[in-house]
Amino acid sequence: MKRALVIVLLAIVAMPLLAAMAAMPRFGSAEQPAYTHVAKRYLERGVEEAGAENVVTGVILNYRGFDTNGEVTVIFTACAAVIAVLAGSRNRQDQREAASSVPESLVVRYVVRLLAPFIALFALYVVLFGEVSPGGGFQGGTVFGALLIVMTVAVSRNQAERLLPLRIRPWLQIAGPLSFLAVGTAGVVLTGWYLGFPQGATAATRLMLMVLEFGIGVGGATVIASIFWRLGDEA
Amino acid sequence: MWWQWPHWLPLAVLVPLGGGVVTPAVARGSARRAWGWAAGVSAATVAVSLALVIRVARGGPFSYAFGGWQPPYGIEFRFDEVSAFAFVVAFLGALAIVFSRQYAPHALAEPRVPYYYTLLLLDIAGLIGFSVTGDLFNMYVFMEIVSLTGYALVAISGERIAEMAAFKYLVLGAVSSLLALFGIGMLYGVTGTLNIADAASRLGAAASTMPVIVAVALLVLGFMVKAALFPLHVWLPDAHAIAPSPVSAVLSGLVVKLGLVGMLRLYGVVYASRAVDLSSLNWLLTWLGAVSIVMGAFFAIFQDDIKMMLAYSTISNIGYIVMGFGLASQYALVGAAVHIFNHALIKSALFLAAGAIIYQTGYRRLSDLRGVGRGMPLTAAALSVGAVSIVGIPPTAGFLCKWYIALGAFEAKRAAFGFALVFGALFIFVYYIRMVNAFYFQEPVHADVTHVGDPPLSMLVPVWILAALCLIMGLAGKVPLTFVAPAVSRLLGPLGG
Amino acid sequence: MIGILWDNFDYAVSVLLFLIGLYCVIAKNNLIKKFMGLNIMETSVFAFIVALGVVKGGSAPIMEPGARPPFINPIPQALILTGIVVAVSTTALALSLIVRVWRQCGTIEADELRELE
Repeated sequence: MKRALVIVLLAIVAMPLLAAMAAMPRFGSAEQPAYTHVAKRYLERGVEEAGAENVVTGVILNYRGFDTNGEVTVIFTACAAVIAVLAGSRNRQDQREAASSVPESLVVRYVVRLLAPFIALFALYVVLFGEVSPGGGFQGGTVFGALLIVMTVAVSRNQAERLLPLRIRPWLQIAGPLSFLAVGTAGVVLTGWYLGFPQGATAATRLMLMVLEFGIGVGGATVIASIFWRLGDEA
Repeated sequence: MWWQWPHWLPLAVLVPLGGGVVTPAVARGSARRAWGWAAGVSAATVAVSLALVIRVARGGPFSYAFGGWQPPYGIEFRFDEVSAFAFVVAFLGALAIVFSRQYAPHALAEPRVPYYYTLLLLDIAGLIGFSVTGDLFNMYVFMEIVSLTGYALVAISGERIAEMAAFKYLVLGAVSSLLALFGIGMLYGVTGTLNIADAASRLGAAASTMPVIVAVALLVLGFMVKAALFPLHVWLPDAHAIAPSPVSAVLSGLVVKLGLVGMLRLYGVVYASRAVDLSSLNWLLTWLGAVSIVMGAFFAIFQDDIKMMLAYSTISNIGYIVMGFGLASQYALVGAAVHIFNHALIKSALFLAAGAIIYQTGYRRLSDLRGVGRGMPLTAAALSVGAVSIVGIPPTAGFLCKWYIALGAFEAKRAAFGFALVFGALFIFVYYIRMVNAFYFQEPVHADVTHVGDPPLSMLVPVWILAALCLIMGLAGKVPLTFVAPAVSRLLGPLGG
Repeated sequence: MIGILWDNFDYAVSVLLFLIGLYCVIAKNNLIKKFMGLNIMETSVFAFIVALGVVKGGSAPIMEPGARPPFINPIPQALILTGIVVAVSTTALALSLIVRVWRQCGTIEADELRELE
């Protein structure tokens, strides 16, 4: 009964939404306002202005860099939130013993150990070449974070955690926001604007973009792994 | 002059943001260090946002283009009179952090404390960012920072149903964010820009009004869930009552205002472009506002839990503000905009005072707290000052805005709403009288309540600063009213009236 | 109108997905399922915004030598990358809340939780 009511209600809501969709500018048209206004300049002058051949990277880090500054803050917020919500709920020591009762597969373990350096290398590649090919700091960071998770599951958590030493982990978690603050301040010195980049593909621009990509990557990977470990403490 | 330095504007966000993220690393597990750091950062934030308010008062709105990209190509911060909310955020946030000095280690598990300050500072950063940004998508990003920290801060108290309340808040909050994002996407599809000012100028040229109408409807719905207007308020009472008291003060005083500030921005776009006629929306909002006033007050009367009562009272006050928006006349909008500021002050005073009482006595029900006026005279007095101003008795902060909204109702020739407002105030009066009566005139149930003594200075001082402001803002009520007036004239200007 | 809606088929699909997600959020009883509904809604909005950037016959906006216009609109992609991160963050927090609810109440069915309150 309740479900039928909800479906009827949603069907009523669907009408104006679909009507609006029908009246939107034509899908895929090159004449739609979304394509002819701001995006036009990005596509025409993005490479020289933003200093990255991948215009998406240029938009993320340069034109709309401050959004990304907010984004890395959001993901750190999630990490802080998860740690705060789950903190002090259970002793990790008994967890360790519980985890060791899971049967291990030698094959899986071996394959993960074998692949780990290659996955790490791929993560590095995705970060490094984010400005000329699909990819970027966050994508690479996610790959690395996934590697840490796979290692935790297949090999051992201790070994995975050793890659992110506990002593400096609070700093690694905020690598994203910190790199933005650093590059943003450098921008103020060089161009007079927060997150400003010198025009064109100069060495300074490349360096600043690289710092941002690495900051996002390291921060993202650490946050993803930390959240996973925290949730693992609890389960 | 010092306040003309352009970089104060980004700094207002970056100081609490940067300070917030490094808090756990700086504190290294010590609650003391975390508090010291957070208090310092929030004090700096207050100073920075003060510079912004001085600048806008002297020279009118100004903006900052990130990366030097002129709008609409980059992200723009735009500081106008409504953005002065950022100063209120910084100020109340700082007081909440000061208040937490003894409250947080008492109410929270030890390892959570540094993260508690991180989340509070990030919440402040998000709120300031939201109120100063001139970009639609950037607005969404800041809205999410505020929301995420809000959910976590509700859950952090560790009370029995805290996680459940936080989850309810999270689901509704996330749905409302998505509604808003959907609307932002549609506006982008129609105008091709994300800059608010640019969208306002391009919206009029939209090929079809249907997507604009639906986008506006989605954004309004999203913002109204965030603001907890009456039928959309279900998440609010539990979340605000269960959170630690300084968090309740921030959530009730500031975070719900996010939806209202967002509404003002949206009105700015739609009124300026004249793309769609909002009179039927305004009609609906006026009614929902009136219903919200009465229902909030009605539920509050039956609450025994003091924080629950305050939480329902927030719904009433949101009703006043939304009604002011809906009336859409100069007086009503000025009153509503100022009530955003004043309600933040009053409700924070009330929640912090209630928190101090709960901290000292350990009770949170009115029936247990009988006679606390004798035990904690200064705190109970501050709470009474807050109660008097939220009812709107002159000469307190609550009076002038409500008076202006009522004047606005007459100005818009809808006098009935003016009477609804007075009637609502009477309702609110009833339950605050109940509270004051319990504190001062009823026989104590628990003997210890009458001689617990006032809380430590770190709590008493913020509470009394706010209570004093409730009185000062009443006596100097003209100042914020004349401050906001130009922004409202600009908003209503295109309507020709 | 149906004919025009057919042209904007991609947008219409995201509306349907959005409503399917909303249905799960409202009607499902299990907190995890509710949350999966929310994820469906998130995905639908992202799909809508990314679809705004499509240009028929366009290629990825990577200006390496030999790349030919038309390129698709880079802005929606950049926005949605941010959106995805936000969604991931919300998911992480929601899951940790659900874990805590399970620990404290022993159930994650909404109706049983309501009784416990």
